[in-house]
Amino acid sequence: MKGFSKMSYPYVIWALIMIVAPMLMIVLYAFSVKGNSVLTFQFTLDNFARFFRDSIFPSVLWRSLKMAFVTTGLCILIGYPTAYIFAKMKPGNQAVMILLVTLPMWINVLVRTYAWRGLLGYVNFGNELRVYVGMIYNFLPFMILEIYTSLSKIDPNLIVASHDLGANDMETFRRVILPLSLPGVVSGITLVFLPAVSSFFIPKFLGGGQYVLIGNLIEDYFITSGDWNFGSAISLIMALIILLSMFVMRKLDHENKEAAD
Amino acid sequence: MKKISKILLASSLVLLAGCGGSSGSGSAAATETKDAKELYGCSVINVYNAGEYIGENVLGDFEKAYNATVKYETFDSNESMYTKLLGGSAYDVLVPSDYSIERLISENMLQKLDLNALENLDQLDPAVREMQKVFDPNLEYAVPYFWGSVGLVYNKNNVDPAVIKEKGWDILQDETYKGKVFMYDSQRDAFMVAFKALGYSMNTDDPAQIDAAFDWLVNMDKAVEPAYVTDEVIDAMMNGEKDIALMYSGDAAYVLSENEDMEFIEPDQGTNIWVDAMVIPANAGCPGLAHAFIDYITDYDASYQNSDEIGYTAVNRKVFEELSADDGTYGGISAYIPRSGYDKDEVFHFNETLRQELSDRWNKVKIGSN
Repeated sequence: MKGFSKMSYPYVIWALIMIVAPMLMIVLYAFSVKGNSVLTFQFTLDNFARFFRDSIFPSVLWRSLKMAFVTTGLCILIGYPTAYIFAKMKPGNQAVMILLVTLPMWINVLVRTYAWRGLLGYVNFGNELRVYVGMIYNFLPFMILEIYTSLSKIDPNLIVASHDLGANDMETFRRVILPLSLPGVVSGITLVFLPAVSSFFIPKFLGGGQYVLIGNLIEDYFITSGDWNFGSAISLIMALIILLSMFVMRKLDHENKEAAD
Repeated sequence: MKKISKILLASSLVLLAGCGGSSGSGSAAATETKDAKELYGCSVINVYNAGEYIGENVLGDFEKAYNATVKYETFDSNESMYTKLLGGSAYDVLVPSDYSIERLISENMLQKLDLNALENLDQLDPAVREMQKVFDPNLEYAVPYFWGSVGLVYNKNNVDPAVIKEKGWDILQDETYKGKVFMYDSQRDAFMVAFKALGYSMNTDDPAQIDAAFDWLVNMDKAVEPAYVTDEVIDAMMNGEKDIALMYSGDAAYVLSENEDMEFIEPDQGTNIWVDAMVIPANAGCPGLAHAFIDYITDYDASYQNSDEIGYTAVNRKVFEELSADDGTYGGISAYIPRSGYDKDEVFHFNETLRQELSDRWNKVKIGSN
């Protein structure tokens, strides 16, 4: 094992340069006055105050969280039954279905979103509905795959045992299958919720340029307005929310595991 | 679909040339081939230009003529270009807009041009050179690339030309056109419209006028619920997706040449006149070849190709006259000839504090829309 841990050094260095250093720079920018160089760092909380001073920015944050919640919820509602049906199929058919779910993911997200824009041009959906269609389409495969993996790992003998002990189909599902598949749901939520909060090009392309989310704000302040300090502050606020949700997820996952044991 | 047929034509030409094999080498470039390495000591330049802003064969022809390599990158806004420069990227030629050049000059990020190395400057339209003096008073940093104005493209079957002429920018507050308007997603252009509609200067920094302009935009957002777009507006208006769009004159000329229902107007309340120009950054790696490139683009052939294909107004006087003549590519297309010499039209000036003031407000206008 010792030899193996040495092999992780390149990754550690890579992570330091590509992940930790940029994060530190964002923190630095978020807490400093515009136009500062590292040499003349001037601490400020203004960037955060600016975010909360005006109800308009928190309202965008709320809208982004709502969008992520609804997207995740609908992905579970659609994804769980789909994964369940897949898991019940013959092994050969399962492989085909999983391939079909994975297939669109081989195409770049941007291309798929453009395709949706063309398709949705023919129907009279509101901007919000368009964005939801694009988001769910994009994130659903992650949910299905995660839930399917945990469902197909369940030992069939457990279900047989449950029936032997007198449980009907409904009870078996509720007391055996569902608890055992929850880890899949939890990791599915992680894979869908976190990117959904920060996604910006799907709302941009499908929302008719009228649907501003927190990701769009960050993009705008970095690229168009060139206000990196405020952009960093918004990024940091979002990073905190994501960390918080990861913490909650982990806790849920942990409790599940304890309950399963 | 002029553009597509051109691409097809170009690719078939490439195929033909490929079939010809190695037999013909001299005929490709009309002028004698120069050797960049011999002349300037380097043969690679990095060019950073706006997207969809250069003719299909211009770069290839230049590379042949100078036995050089052009590394070509594009940006989608002056602001993202500036961000990239701050990040430390080095280029030999940039093509920013007037106000952006003003900023780069003030921050010592450009080098003065060697005017002796530029032989084709006398082909430039004197009127455009006059406009250049607004951001480059001694004409020593930049060479114009395209110029134009900002105006409204509208479908004349659905919008009465007399009404839009009378209302000007205020048509963007007319609820009749709810859901039928494209607004360009740029705080600079949007606030320009509001300032002009209210009769102010677009370079104002009077807080009361800024607030009034903000209110004007909020009302616009409520009244017509525009879709906020950038370059995708060109294709959308070509297909007639909406009735009114805020557009640059060059994009408008292209749309008008493809869709006969569309018309272009520069409102009487005044608009923004702009010049995009080529400059050489202070840290350019191959300034000699950069000068040669700028001179090449200014010359008749390249200028003609660029303007003919892209639709923006040529700064080369002869090219402009030929393309805007009745039998030229843009004959009879009003947007190809931007208004000049009108006293309510202005060139935009760079103002960092104003920019920050406007960026929060512009986001609020857009967020408020749903």
